[in-house]
Amino acid sequence: MRRSAPRTYLAARLLVSLVLLGACGRTGDRRAAASPASGAVTVTDDAGHSVTLPAPARRVVSVAPSSTELLFALGAGAQVVGRTTWCKYPPAALAVPVVGDGLNPSLEAVAARRPDLVVLYRSPLNETAAAQLARIGIPALVVKQDRLEDLARAARLLGVITGHPSAGDTIAAAIDAVLQGPLHPPSSPPGRVRLAFVVWDNPPMVIGAGSYLDQIAGLAGGVNVFHDIGSASATVSLETVAARDPDVIAVLDDSTPVGEPAYTARPEWQVVRAVRQRRFVHLPADLFGRPSPRAAEAVAELRRRLEAWQ
Amino acid sequence: MDRDLILALRDVSARYPGAARDALTGVSLDVRAGDFLAVLGPNGSGKTTLVRMTLGLLVPATGTAEVLGRPAAAWPRRDLARVVGVVSQREENLFPQRVRESVLLGRYPHLSTWGGERAEDHVAVARALERSDATALADRWIWTLSGGEYQRVRLARALAQEPRVLVLDEPTASLDLRHEMELFELVRDLVDAHGLAAVVVTHHVNLAARFADRVLLLDDGRPAASGPPSDVLTRATVERVFAWPVAIEPFDGRPQMIPLRKPLP
Amino acid sequence: MRWLALAGLSLVALALAVVLGPAHVALADLGRSPIVRELRIPRALLGFVVGGSLAVSGASLQALMRNPLADPFLLGLSGGAGLGAVAALALHLGGPWAVPLAAFIGALVALALVFRLGLIGGAELDPRVLLLGGVAVGAFAGAVMTAIISVSEAAQLRNAFLWLWGGLSGASWDTLLVLCLYVPVPLLVLLASARPLDVLALGEEPARYLGADVTALKRRVYLAASLLTAAAVAVSGVIGFVGLMVPHLCRGVWGQRHRALLPASFLGGGALLVLADTAARVAVAPRELPVGIVTALIGVPLFALLLRRWTAT
Repeated sequence: MRRSAPRTYLAARLLVSLVLLGACGRTGDRRAAASPASGAVTVTDDAGHSVTLPAPARRVVSVAPSSTELLFALGAGAQVVGRTTWCKYPPAALAVPVVGDGLNPSLEAVAARRPDLVVLYRSPLNETAAAQLARIGIPALVVKQDRLEDLARAARLLGVITGHPSAGDTIAAAIDAVLQGPLHPPSSPPGRVRLAFVVWDNPPMVIGAGSYLDQIAGLAGGVNVFHDIGSASATVSLETVAARDPDVIAVLDDSTPVGEPAYTARPEWQVVRAVRQRRFVHLPADLFGRPSPRAAEAVAELRRRLEAWQ
Repeated sequence: MDRDLILALRDVSARYPGAARDALTGVSLDVRAGDFLAVLGPNGSGKTTLVRMTLGLLVPATGTAEVLGRPAAAWPRRDLARVVGVVSQREENLFPQRVRESVLLGRYPHLSTWGGERAEDHVAVARALERSDATALADRWIWTLSGGEYQRVRLARALAQEPRVLVLDEPTASLDLRHEMELFELVRDLVDAHGLAAVVVTHHVNLAARFADRVLLLDDGRPAASGPPSDVLTRATVERVFAWPVAIEPFDGRPQMIPLRKPLP
Repeated sequence: MRWLALAGLSLVALALAVVLGPAHVALADLGRSPIVRELRIPRALLGFVVGGSLAVSGASLQALMRNPLADPFLLGLSGGAGLGAVAALALHLGGPWAVPLAAFIGALVALALVFRLGLIGGAELDPRVLLLGGVAVGAFAGAVMTAIISVSEAAQLRNAFLWLWGGLSGASWDTLLVLCLYVPVPLLVLLASARPLDVLALGEEPARYLGADVTALKRRVYLAASLLTAAAVAVSGVIGFVGLMVPHLCRGVWGQRHRALLPASFLGGGALLVLADTAARVAVAPRELPVGIVTALIGVPLFALLLRRWTAT
């Protein structure tokens, strides 16, 4: 308990500062910007459950990196009291205590942070976790985070439930603006770079239309050759990758920078032209690793890198 | 008449690794071609140990165990299997098999690693089936056989090895009267008509007395008596070894043991 | 005759694997297409060798352990291989061969451990001890593997499990060559042990009485079957079902004699895995199914069919 006392104090101080900053004005609703809005808040999460809090959440445990980033972007960083090991952005998040790695949340570790709200990303395992949290009296919000529009919706939801509704609207609007960009579901006019996101080599796993990466690719002027796959990711045959012949392979770089992916040297991958000719685009994980409020920046970055391969 | 000495144990004693006492002490036996020897004794008297010893599976601590003049433990296993055919107490049969295939396994000591079964192997199998009166069973599945039929098949397998001596360890353990008698008659016939030697380890004192030429009676690992049945199976000896009052009555020239009643104290 | 049918099935399976695939390759272009030459052909051949090896290994282990439910992956090999692969990934070992080699070494370590356990207290590779030892070693390796994945930084380690689920995606001419140089020795050892395995089915003591050197036989068969399995896992992860079911399918037709059963299992296992892999590639194209699922989907109805015919006679 003593260990968390300085944190609570810090959080309180941050909160006061935020309140004061908020009072200095923001685009949007002045009334709500004066302080984190008080009063009961109700939202419906992406699992269809209605979550009601008597007051905006003060102690939020976020069990997904994109929610963590989003909470900080909303100005609710001070209200975040728990994160996963993978939640490393923004840097301020590193100060928040870790409750696990997010895949299979340890409910005890989460509960130990005494949260009044837990944010989980939508998956069958997490829906069970949400139910269990509800049983021990902790409200849980299940948020879909596969595509950019999910993020826009999440921004609004989290904005309301943490008492920063206008910030939520701002971020959502920004993402909608990005989505409205000049390109919609990509057809393939000549001159556009055809790419594939390869996240694993054995068996080959690629990103499909269900993922924000596919959206970012399209918005950046590229075409995901696996756009016909509906899910966020899928296992495909190597010969399919070879047959679809992407111009470029996009690789998400981990925190540990590697040169070319390991499979570049493997004989069977040489059938894929992009591997044979070493046509890789390395994307930094902190910008591309999850749907983020900095989507516009991601699109611009990818567009820039793809132009090198045009 | 000097028939071949096939098995010879001389004053053998043996102990299992880690055991407190000897399993056998000072046991001797001779088996020549045409002999029918029965090994008798209460449970734990060392009968199965004796079988293992004659086959070189257990090395004698003192004394010698020889097969055809060579120490049993020194024989290459395959060669030994061509001389001694064993029907052991227990056998598993995990996968379904037909009788003919099962008997064919008895040809293992005669077959090479890569060579196929030859005509002589099939002839040996047919002969073995005939001798153990199991020809009619040849195409049946093993699991469909009755206890008596199965024992005849196992005997056929041992015969397929074309051994000079048959060793049968409790062959009639779970058989009914008719099958017991049939089996002993079969063995007797093999010994008489085909010159095999036979060593039968059994609980059945009376059957051993009727069919065997000689009997070895074991008591707690030691030889209590050995020789023709009428010499061995005397009232005094049997009562001492089996720790129960009996009467001995002659039948057909052989002693038969009749256990007496003894009310519990 | 049965053998002709099996050989025919094998050829058909290989042909289908070369002709069919999610990438459309016209029949006329088969000879020239790099997809066919560099991917499909080596993959089909590799699948055949792996499937055959798993089936022969399974049949031998079923005889050795005297247990119809024995399977090449009972002896802790998959756990060892997985641990090796994960360790290689966690340590960022470089080179295209790092993971398969590490998986192979991991499997060998597991093999040695279980072998050693099987010799404790003079157990002389008692099947029950081997089984328990295999389960224990496998569970231990699995636990260590999960621990490494949990505490490791690299997000890509979470995908390591995908490798373990099994698949022929890593097939290339190089891999095939290495496997074909390696496989004949343990395979021949097992084929040479066919007759003694027949007598072992009666039990160890009866087998000894029939002249089999049971101790040497058990060691030989255990090592050869495990070495085959270790190579299969290193190359293609854990493909279940083939090693367990193909021997039973073949027994229904060829009976219990290993001189026929082992070669038949090799061909049958090879054909099954190749057919399954083709289905895995084509059924939900452009996606690919894990091949272990397909082997089960194909094999179980086949087995039920055979069982019916067999119990009816």
